[in-house]
Amino acid sequence: MRSIDLFFYEWKHFSRSPFKIVALLLFTLAGIYGLNSGSKLYENQKSEITSINLKVSEKQEETISYYTKGEKGPKDRSWVDLTTPFWATWYVPTYKFKTPSPLIVYGIGQAEQYGFYKQITIWSSPSDSDMVEEIANPERLQIGTLDFSFVIIFLLPLLLLILLHNLKSAETEQGYLMLINVQARNITSWLFIRTIFYVLLISIVCLLLMIYGASLTNILGKHTDGFFQLYSILLLYLLLWTIIYFIVINKGKTSAENTLKMIGIWLVLAFVIPGTIHLWVSIKSPTNLMLDLIDAQRDEFDKISLQPDSVIDRQLYILFPEIELSETANDSLKKANSKMQSGSALANELIKKTIHSIELENQQKNDLIRNTYWLNPIAFFQNKFNSISETSYQDYHQYRQEIQQSIDRRIKIMVVDIWKDVKVDKKQYLEYSKTLNSQ
Amino acid sequence: MWEIIKKEWLLLFRSNLFLGVSLGFILILILSVYLGSYENQRKKASYENAKNEMRSQWENLKDMNPHGAAHFGTYVFKPSNSLSGLDEGVGAITGNVLRLEGHVQNEILYSEASQMQSVSRFGKLKSSLLLQYLLPILLVFLAFGSINSEKQSGRLKLLIMQGAGTTKLVLAKTLSIWLYGLGLLVLVVLTHSLLNIQDFNADVFVRTSLFLLVYALYYFIITGLTIFFSTQTHNATIALTFMLGLWILWTIFLPNIFISSVEKWHMLPSRNEMKTAMKEDRSKGIDGHNPSDDREDEFKKSILKKYNVDSLSQLPVNFDGLVMQADEEYGNKVWDKHFGNLRETLALQKQTLQYGGIINPFISLQNTSKGFMASDNLHHQAYLMQAENYRRVFIKTLNDKHAFGGSKTGDWDWKPSNDFFKSVPDFDYKPTSVWSIFSSYLLDLFFLGFWAFAVSACLIFRTKQIEIL
Repeated sequence: MRSIDLFFYEWKHFSRSPFKIVALLLFTLAGIYGLNSGSKLYENQKSEITSINLKVSEKQEETISYYTKGEKGPKDRSWVDLTTPFWATWYVPTYKFKTPSPLIVYGIGQAEQYGFYKQITIWSSPSDSDMVEEIANPERLQIGTLDFSFVIIFLLPLLLLILLHNLKSAETEQGYLMLINVQARNITSWLFIRTIFYVLLISIVCLLLMIYGASLTNILGKHTDGFFQLYSILLLYLLLWTIIYFIVINKGKTSAENTLKMIGIWLVLAFVIPGTIHLWVSIKSPTNLMLDLIDAQRDEFDKISLQPDSVIDRQLYILFPEIELSETANDSLKKANSKMQSGSALANELIKKTIHSIELENQQKNDLIRNTYWLNPIAFFQNKFNSISETSYQDYHQYRQEIQQSIDRRIKIMVVDIWKDVKVDKKQYLEYSKTLNSQ
Repeated sequence: MWEIIKKEWLLLFRSNLFLGVSLGFILILILSVYLGSYENQRKKASYENAKNEMRSQWENLKDMNPHGAAHFGTYVFKPSNSLSGLDEGVGAITGNVLRLEGHVQNEILYSEASQMQSVSRFGKLKSSLLLQYLLPILLVFLAFGSINSEKQSGRLKLLIMQGAGTTKLVLAKTLSIWLYGLGLLVLVVLTHSLLNIQDFNADVFVRTSLFLLVYALYYFIITGLTIFFSTQTHNATIALTFMLGLWILWTIFLPNIFISSVEKWHMLPSRNEMKTAMKEDRSKGIDGHNPSDDREDEFKKSILKKYNVDSLSQLPVNFDGLVMQADEEYGNKVWDKHFGNLRETLALQKQTLQYGGIINPFISLQNTSKGFMASDNLHHQAYLMQAENYRRVFIKTLNDKHAFGGSKTGDWDWKPSNDFFKSVPDFDYKPTSVWSIFSSYLLDLFFLGFWAFAVSACLIFRTKQIEIL
């Protein structure tokens, strides 16, 4: 029997099996639902960013109006003097965004566990309370959103199971297998071609779903690479399950036995192994209650401010060598005030060190997880999906680093200009706005 | 009937495959309970350490003005309860550290999930993972062929000729497999109770009993339905395929779809929207740190009138403390309004999700499992409320000391002795009693009961006329 004939026969088998058709339909519907969930999150985040940017512009306009009117600041805040770098930079509203990738449509990943916008001030840190995730029902977060990656990682193996479970075994049970053996000569290749039919069917359905997803957030064009990377990962994942299931159905005798083995393997790979590794990682490296960070923010900072003046001076000069020779550095009256206003720079350094050690601890935890990928392929594929759709832990780690860079830049500009005794006018304010808001 | 059950058990125990699978399952169940309890103990130790450190920092405060101390604030940590060893619920998703300070109600931060990359979509290998996802599948595998195998071997006819009615036979088969599931469930609960005997009290007993009840009902539904389909089909594989399809639909597909849809039907505000609205409302009240505020001026006049004096310097109390407390109380009202709305929406979402139990008893099982194990959102919200109530008492104590402790208005250098800080009570979290939230789960219990009743009715009334050949 020619391979092409086997393909057509398999199509007939498939089209006469309502259970398989319903399964494929449900899978497709879940895929569409998942893609729309991703697209909705993308739209929500984009609109939130637009709304924040609008507020930023309004605030900026308000501040510019003080310069235009020759006022020092808001009337009800008499202590504000916008001609000084301290207050002028204070009044530059700055946000750092984790702009969603259009590829988020394929996998929400860990996007809902972190905030995606952060107001930057001289007292900010990437561990601030406003870095908390968007308001959401914790029970929904726990169960997880039905996104496209969920459909692929968890439902695709189940669909493949439903489509393949009775291949060969149904013929064995009905007593046709010997007849087929005579016609096809090689049962393994006959089974292989039948399996390939379903693999192709799923591949085509997934490709169509991905094209539909691409149309939701305009992926093709700028993110075509990501699209093909994801599709390649998807095919690799499909191949993994096909090999596993093919071995089972090739060796199995009855449909029930095949089903038992296939679902057993799925349960072990999707639940038992990831769950065990999760628990192991959690025991080995418990949740950090951030005591070091709390201590740094409270006690350690107090210790800094209690240091002798000369020590504080030295610390500031090391951080910003250009201020050492400034006029302010030689004027004791100005210097005291400038030093007071530069306190955030020392606090920032302290917090940075603490956060660095916390991030290292988290990275060690991630290394533990990565080292188990060979045993936990589901987590490997899930994290690959998250990584390509820019919603993985690493993407948010990178975002936190960008926040830190933005804080550093803000502090540096402010401190240097305070010590240089810069008088801020409208032009300088606009310059601050431009520099501090460049992403 | 008992004879049939005994015979069924005898048959099961003669199977080496059954014994092997059971042994493996028992081992993994015990391991999950042990590791769950161990993780919990480690969490408790870490919580105690953090709590003690924060308290010690607070008790060692010196040379601090009460309002400075309100800004210094304190931190509370979400304690881990021993029951979460069975079902962790939202524990890994929600934060663990909450800063309590003046002027502002912070959000709980630093969840476990945010500290590492994705590792398991369905959570850790806690008992609930095995009891909710794996054990029902095992029951389906044990039950799907039980009637058909009797039919095919001709034993069904023989049994009926010997006087065993079909209904009695079907019920006995259901009970024999259900009892197996129940046995494993009891094993889990007993092992967990023994490992956590030090935490055992009346509330834990009631919660554990309810946990046992809801799983027992769910296992009966699963076993009964599988047996029922087994009686209605000629081929055992069809019954198996149908039950697996149903399991996938109930366990993997629908919970996700339901909860995602519920959140779309009852929308929560975005953080930015809520913050803006709160800021707007807050701006209508007193700003304790802005002396030029008009409302503060009005408040000042009312205080001067109350004490019958002309100026702040003549007041026998410190006006700064009073205005800070007035600011705080206004802020509390704003918080109550906005977070009250948020909690209402969350409650509405929960209730809508509970109605999903009509077509999917797994949703009722999940709700009650984490609910009775004190690890659902309801318990999380109760914790946050207790923390907020404590924050109010904490800040009021500091503001009262500032106002009535003997200092005069404007005297920001005044500092109470360290004994005062030591006298401020620490946050003492009182676990939510099961009876105070029991009514929230009645709908879930009703649906589980309804399903169990419907399955019983099917087994009793729809299997009388089954084909015996």
